[in-house]
Amino acid sequence: MTAIPRTVKIKQNYEIVAWKWMRYSAIILIPLVWVHVLIQDILVGPHYITLDYVEKRWSMIGWQIYDILLLSFTFAHGMNGLRQIMVDHIHSRQARVMYGWFIFLAWVVITLIGGFAIIGAAHKHLVAFN
Amino acid sequence: MLGSLRTSFTGYLTYRGGVGQIPFLLHRVTGLGVLFFLTIHIVDTALVYFAPQLYEHALELFRSTPFMVGEIGLVFCVFFHGLNGLRIAYYDLFTTAGGEIDRVRKSVWATFVITMILWIPAASIMVYKLLHYNFGFFAGK
Repeated sequence: MTAIPRTVKIKQNYEIVAWKWMRYSAIILIPLVWVHVLIQDILVGPHYITLDYVEKRWSMIGWQIYDILLLSFTFAHGMNGLRQIMVDHIHSRQARVMYGWFIFLAWVVITLIGGFAIIGAAHKHLVAFN
Repeated sequence: MLGSLRTSFTGYLTYRGGVGQIPFLLHRVTGLGVLFFLTIHIVDTALVYFAPQLYEHALELFRSTPFMVGEIGLVFCVFFHGLNGLRIAYYDLFTTAGGEIDRVRKSVWATFVITMILWIPAASIMVYKLLHYNFGFFAGK
């Protein structure tokens, strides 16, 4: 019996890339999200968080980059997860395409709102400082 | 749409997937829960820049008892979803044929145990703060 080659080449498509993204993004998401939750929810808590606290945090370039990474990775992972669940539960192709676009638009708009706020707040702080 | 949702729901409850079915379902539920909070959280934190006076109002809401209780649940979701996600990624990416069934079953229990080990101290600190700030315990107020 001749040995059959065990490796199969699979053509990359959107679903395969999304499937891999959900798994590989976890490697950066775990430290990013857990450190954020540990500091802001467990150790600091909502009673210590004020407008001044957030503005001071965003005046530091390190936290600004941290929060931009946090925003982009978590929300992209989450919205793609929502899309995967939607695809499992919506059986009409037309509706799947429609909800897919709705999720995509919501992802773009809310990511932009969050991104503008992080960069804008830091800019405002810089202007006030000078 | 409602019909297909009902089919999925009853399917989830009656499908006998054994020990692997519980983390599958919980992964989806906790994922949706975290995403729901995350969406609110991005928009409310954006108020810092777009409408600072409204942000103070949002903070008042986050300091209320129902939100602080919800936050403790959120921390559970974040720990479970992260650990279970690592478990899934490990079996999908680093083992052939998804791993042996006995090892997979053990890993499910390990995920729950580690989640509780992380969550119980975190929840204790948060319950302490809730009782301290909102109910005046431990010489609060």
